[in-house]
Amino acid sequence: MRLDRRSLFRGALAALAVSSASACGGASGSGGRLRVAFPTAGAKETLDPHTSSLFVDQARAKALFDTLVGYADDMSVVPRLAESWEPDATGTRWLVRLRQARFHDNRPVTADDVLYSYRRIADPATASPARRQFAAVDFAASRARSATELELVLRAPDFEFPSAWGAPATEIIPAGTGDFAAPVGSGPFRFSSFQPGRPAVFARFDGHWSGAATPAELEFVPINDESARVAALMSGQVHYIHDVSANSASLLRGDNRARLLAAPHGTMQAVALKVDRPPFDDPRVVRAVLSGVDRQALLDIALSGHGRLGNDLFGKGLKYYPEDFPQRQRDPGLARSLLREAGADGMEFELLTSAADPYFEPAATLISQQLGDIGLRVSPRVGPSETYFSDIKNNGVAAHTRTATLPVPTFLAQRMRGDAGSNNYTGYRSAEFDALATRAASTADEAERTRLLADAQRLARDSSGLLVWGFSDWNVAVADGVTGVRPAPPNSLDWARFDRVSPG
Amino acid sequence: MARFALRRLVVAACQLAAVAVTVFALTSVLPGDTAVVVLGEHATDEQVAALRERLRLDVPPWQRFAEWLAGLPRGDLGTSLLTGTAVSDEISRGFATTALLALLALAVVIPLALAIGVGTGLRRGSALDRGLNGVVVMLDSIPEFALALVLVALFSLHLGWLPATAAGASGWSLAAEPAVLVLPVGVLVCKQLCALARQVRVGVAEADSAEYAMHVRLHGLPERAVVLRHVLPNGLAPAVQQLARAVDGLLGGVVVVEAVFALPGMGSGFVGAVMARDLPAVQGYALVFAITTIVLNLLADLASRRLVPQREVVA
Repeated sequence: MRLDRRSLFRGALAALAVSSASACGGASGSGGRLRVAFPTAGAKETLDPHTSSLFVDQARAKALFDTLVGYADDMSVVPRLAESWEPDATGTRWLVRLRQARFHDNRPVTADDVLYSYRRIADPATASPARRQFAAVDFAASRARSATELELVLRAPDFEFPSAWGAPATEIIPAGTGDFAAPVGSGPFRFSSFQPGRPAVFARFDGHWSGAATPAELEFVPINDESARVAALMSGQVHYIHDVSANSASLLRGDNRARLLAAPHGTMQAVALKVDRPPFDDPRVVRAVLSGVDRQALLDIALSGHGRLGNDLFGKGLKYYPEDFPQRQRDPGLARSLLREAGADGMEFELLTSAADPYFEPAATLISQQLGDIGLRVSPRVGPSETYFSDIKNNGVAAHTRTATLPVPTFLAQRMRGDAGSNNYTGYRSAEFDALATRAASTADEAERTRLLADAQRLARDSSGLLVWGFSDWNVAVADGVTGVRPAPPNSLDWARFDRVSPG
Repeated sequence: MARFALRRLVVAACQLAAVAVTVFALTSVLPGDTAVVVLGEHATDEQVAALRERLRLDVPPWQRFAEWLAGLPRGDLGTSLLTGTAVSDEISRGFATTALLALLALAVVIPLALAIGVGTGLRRGSALDRGLNGVVVMLDSIPEFALALVLVALFSLHLGWLPATAAGASGWSLAAEPAVLVLPVGVLVCKQLCALARQVRVGVAEADSAEYAMHVRLHGLPERAVVLRHVLPNGLAPAVQQLARAVDGLLGGVVVVEAVFALPGMGSGFVGAVMARDLPAVQGYALVFAITTIVLNLLADLASRRLVPQREVVA
């Protein structure tokens, strides 16, 4: 048995954490201030919502700013600043009507603010992670029809365009904003104080369009170490903690001082087989690996059962996910015969992995054992976590990867299309897939669009090289007595939404 | 003494140069750079290239190193690639937390180690000697993170007496929340106590049984005077070196304690700089840590020579 910090911590707590609810009780004594703990990225943190790629930055952006729409748990869109919207018959011209909302400095939120925000996101100089969402917008033709009516014009039809308005890093800022030292937004909390890597404090904005937030103040507390976050929650120092491991989840389930909130299907766990280079440019070798992996064993062991089975498709539980595809089962006989046929029996390859995700390394060990059974020799190779996801874009032939919840059409367009560039981790290029995705985007009828997207996913499932073995739960936890918060997948409207949370 | 100090300063300058070159070379060969780390996994190649140009990462490494070196005589440690602020400001942000922890730990560990070391050194082989030795060795043998987590589980989660983490507090303001500091300082004391107390014990025991101590005893000098005038000055000289190592460790190597108790000090700042491939910041931290080590060792050597002037101290 490996003795690491987590297992030791769990053991120590299991021995000592009896049901005496109570410890310090500091959090409940903090009145109207809600304290939420997130891992910190130190000096890398920012309050510029358009450049935020960290979860803590996105959570702070959600408190300070609003987006036009939000994502429901299945990644369908729900109105926020946009009250209603409609496309023209071609799907290239979108009319958006804004609700009456105000920024923290009492200025109204207008169509000009939205246009300024989207232009800034699309500007390469901003280096926004959401830039591709607005790459097809013709800003010269787009315009504000009035203070509350906006016309967005696209260069190509896209009946899923509203999805772009709810993506992370698409918050609306006042026109002309370039400095985020003390940002002004229209979100439920207004800026009070912040330093990168240090606590941030925001105060309730009484003029928010959806009504004043429940907590008078919201404090983001930086705690990097996961064990320390759990300890801070259980000892009453904070009310909410982000990112709880499967080990700690089991511990929290047996303790009455805290409540685990696990959202199913939170994160896709996958292995990207690079089909643009040997040995996975041979479809038989790809199919052999897909048939040689025992997904149920990976779920039971690597995820300790805290997740759902994968079926080599992104987006389980989300809108447009084809639930009717048969579950891929392990078939060692088929895998061996495919390898023999491809002349790849006994082939060796490296499986890139890292500590960037707690499930990667145990999964890599299991997968190398499982593929060993069908005659492949797989060596897990651990890379540095801080640059791992960039390193695997071009290096190696097989790598662990993960993706948090996104709308399925967004994932297909940005991670699987031939023009997705280096974000297409498997190097999949299929004119047929691209044509199906393009037709789906330009199809107004939702049922027909769903069918086209299912066809595209069926094609990609067999040939894209993406081995989706599971979906890990998305775990956060709250102190006992905290109300107004529910399990919600990452990037959804209700994830890290603190305006309706009562510290208890 | 002056010649000795001068010779040591020349050696120290060479050591600093070696540290600067080695750290720069090692950090340069790490995969990825600040542009990749800052932009994250979904950045396009063009975005990475543009940021790389803006941060001047496309300038040859030797040129960047030379520029950094040129700023040193002016006390300029360079500018952080991540924040665009002076590296010295970055380092000073974590200094207060680290210094406070180190001062408090030393305030406890020095008198405690002296009491244990002198007491057991003068009573070699007694039950007290065996008992105290056993305790300090046991504390030293428990890994730092394990000790920290067990103390948190016991005193914070089970008994509810002390906060589990600093939970956002940092710098000198921590002094206003002494309860927050009890567990981290306790862990640091436990980890530094053993080596220092045992070094004091060995030195005191050796001096106590030395011929000169027996000689002055035979001359009828009272025992108290023997211990204070002859045993302690000679016996404590080796412990001064150990004390320097302890201070050095407390100022630069408490990453685990900082992580477990969420205390943003210099250790975690250094780790963060390496993770972000923020080369000027990494260089700055390494230089500060190296200077600390060299200065502390120099002071320890000077103090040893002062305590025992006849002792030859190897430079």
